[in-house]
Amino acid sequence: MNKTFTSRLEELLGSKKVLSSASELLCYSYDATPLTSFKPDAIVRAYNEEDIQKVLEFATQENIPVTTRGSGTGLSGGSVPVKGGIVLVTTAMNKIIEIDSEDLSVTVEPGVITANLHSAVEALDLFYPPDPGSMKISTIGGNVAENAGGLRGLKYGITGDYVMSLDTFLVDGSKVKYGTKCVKDVAGYNMTKFLVGTEGTIGVFSKIVLKLVPKPKTKKTFLALYDDVIDAARTVSTIISRKVIPSTLELMDQVTINCVEDYSQIGLPRDVVALLLIEADGHPAVVAEEANVIEEACKANNVRTLKIAKSKQESDELFTARRMALSALARAKPTTILEDITVPRPAIPEMMALIREVAGKFNILIGTFGHAGDGNLHPTCLTDERDLDEIHRVHEAYEIIFDKAISLGGTISGEHGTGIAKSKYLPSMVGPKAIELMRKIKACFDPSGRLNPGKIFPIER
Amino acid sequence: MRKNLDPDDIAVALSTLDVHDYGDVLQCMRCGLCLPTCPTYRTDGVETQSPRGRVALIKAVIDGKMRASEEFVEHIYHCLDCRNCQTVCPAGVKAGELVLEARYRIEENRTQPLIKKFLLNYAILDQKRLSKLLAPLKLYQISGLQALVRKYDILKLISDDLQFMEALSPKLPSRPLSEEISEEIPALGAERGRVGFFLGCAMNLIFADTSRATIENLTRAGFRVIVPKEIQCCGTPNIAEGERKIYREMAENTIKIFADRRVDYIVTDCAACGSELKTYREIFRKNPTFVGKAEEFSNKVRDVSEFLDSVWTSDIKLGPLPEIVCFHDPCHLRHGQKLTSPQRNLLNRIPQLDYRELPDEGQCCGSAGIYNITHRNRSMRILQSKIEAIEKTKVETVISSNPGCLMQLAYGARRWNKGWNVVHISEVLNRSLRSGEKTG
Repeated sequence: MNKTFTSRLEELLGSKKVLSSASELLCYSYDATPLTSFKPDAIVRAYNEEDIQKVLEFATQENIPVTTRGSGTGLSGGSVPVKGGIVLVTTAMNKIIEIDSEDLSVTVEPGVITANLHSAVEALDLFYPPDPGSMKISTIGGNVAENAGGLRGLKYGITGDYVMSLDTFLVDGSKVKYGTKCVKDVAGYNMTKFLVGTEGTIGVFSKIVLKLVPKPKTKKTFLALYDDVIDAARTVSTIISRKVIPSTLELMDQVTINCVEDYSQIGLPRDVVALLLIEADGHPAVVAEEANVIEEACKANNVRTLKIAKSKQESDELFTARRMALSALARAKPTTILEDITVPRPAIPEMMALIREVAGKFNILIGTFGHAGDGNLHPTCLTDERDLDEIHRVHEAYEIIFDKAISLGGTISGEHGTGIAKSKYLPSMVGPKAIELMRKIKACFDPSGRLNPGKIFPIER
Repeated sequence: MRKNLDPDDIAVALSTLDVHDYGDVLQCMRCGLCLPTCPTYRTDGVETQSPRGRVALIKAVIDGKMRASEEFVEHIYHCLDCRNCQTVCPAGVKAGELVLEARYRIEENRTQPLIKKFLLNYAILDQKRLSKLLAPLKLYQISGLQALVRKYDILKLISDDLQFMEALSPKLPSRPLSEEISEEIPALGAERGRVGFFLGCAMNLIFADTSRATIENLTRAGFRVIVPKEIQCCGTPNIAEGERKIYREMAENTIKIFADRRVDYIVTDCAACGSELKTYREIFRKNPTFVGKAEEFSNKVRDVSEFLDSVWTSDIKLGPLPEIVCFHDPCHLRHGQKLTSPQRNLLNRIPQLDYRELPDEGQCCGSAGIYNITHRNRSMRILQSKIEAIEKTKVETVISSNPGCLMQLAYGARRWNKGWNVVHISEVLNRSLRSGEKTG
């Protein structure tokens, strides 16, 4: 765009909040999604609601797109400005406005870092369960927009399960508030639940109220090692079928274990084919009972070794190692492409078997890890973007994996969102009628298609 | 910033990166795990001030997607080189080292200002020369002029920068340690081995008493200490400023000097020197005639805490120090040398010492060589965060082991009236050893 465009933005907001140099445009052209990069025309750092309003009004006058961004750690391209325009960064709006320990809720600005929220509420013996892999830097605003999951999803649910109320700016700069701090609230359509996971295509959140729960009294962490990935997958379904829902039930295959151990060096055995990281939490008596069932389930499925973390430090190390899995896989090859399929839990062994089969068939290296306890798997291709033939094979393999996930009653994305990365596969997943309905809803809020264009809906060429 | 830059030359120079091949740059998957650990991202909050941003910028120049403009070069110099990003990167991307490589390639392609040439290519080669350069400051301090100047804020009238540099300067010893100490100091008691002591420039010229304590701690541990007086700078300032020719010459010289002394270990009490000396093996990796010697040299290098932690037997008598302390990890120790436990092990051995952990996971203090002078504003904001973290521990004494950190933290303690005692770990250990001797 032109000089006058940015200088008018600077006049409106003050030059400190507007970034537009060549380096800045480059550094806001990507998030953590591989092979995805589009430069914006300008970046605005919002410090308050007034800034958000001004940006949206300005963009309306100029008829340009606005893409909202938190810390830019998304994995589906949600904060990448596909059609240019303004990137609206909310990281400077990072105040925890109120922790209501009487009524168990917390009110935050969208730029609050997820892990900072965890430590703030845990200091008061409260608990905000959603813990996406990037929680040390991801923002609550981004978590809500993508409806982020995490390791504790199977027992505690995901971000959307905790959102009580949202102050949202619409594309024209007007503001609406949906929801209350009440546990029960059925007044009108549940717009709060609808807005969660809309990936910045409907509005811009400026204030978020989240539900809190009491902090679990105790927890017990297990590390189960297997010689066969299918045995590990069967353990997951066994635990669930025996009516125990652990707070965490994570799977890593051998490729992942080795990359993680290369980085973390916490002594994960490199020769095991798969491992499960399992945690039970809650009242001590319940944890003890669940621990017995977990142990039995592991043994019934040929576990090689079952270890129990001796200290909080040991347990933290295991969790940190698991959270590093994706980034650690990046050390093996130049390009890391991951997926986010989710299947019903009894189907996990079948899904794992198929992933292993296509990796062999297409001669590609796939490391699989994920939240097996909720059926959410991240088969990750370790490849090289310069090898076009291999990249082609990777895409072919993923098509088969997606088809299988859908045929098993699963989904193409469990927690990363549709964004650009998965928009191509959405029609086959939900069908044309659902796409048409989604388009109508989008048009209702944003008729000119300026809020985060190019996301969710497949781009028509 | 100098206006003698040809973006095309720099792009070409960057495109032939040899230390870090292209794959290393590609390995960054932009996950953002480096963001919360990067001091400049923490202060500025923008992507251009982050490790993944710097990697992306360098990659864009290499790929011809962006010009190597003045702005690009400035960004390359915003990094403090604390290497925290390298500690946390699960993918093993060496963003910090990549930035230094970029600086080198930039500086090779533009003319160097005289003052920089004077300092990096001449002054630094000889500690006597450096000592003479400090003479006016010494005169200023002992003549009583400093007291007057500080009392009336006189320098503020002349230049804000000058006032800052004045405030940062510690009290100099009357003479450098190298002029006061003999070349070989025998072990106390039975000799367990020969330790070569690398007397860093800042330790020798500014923290002479500290290094004296270090040497005493080594002799008390049963080691004969050899202090070569003719050594030159370790080269950290040259590397930080993209100078490599003189750097290599100095490194070669240092390696030869210690080879002649036939020592079992090479110990230094400066974290920056230690980190640099340990990388000599990498620097000469492509020099087949010298790589063996460099390897042998680097393998012998130990930080003083690392060394004492490994050689102090249980019969070492440590006297009680009833003090509340914390340890600020110098980046060159924690991230450069990946050392976190030796200094804690040693402090935890001192009876009655109440050691408290700093709650900031190894953040930089903002000193970073001359960063506090070249990027003063940001350096002061980084220092402020550090001061706030120390404040939370409610300590009386702040311990560290790098001259730059010690000066920066002492300045911070003065500026924010904290009344902390800022000291090198060698001094704390020495006090404990001496009192252990009296009581034992």
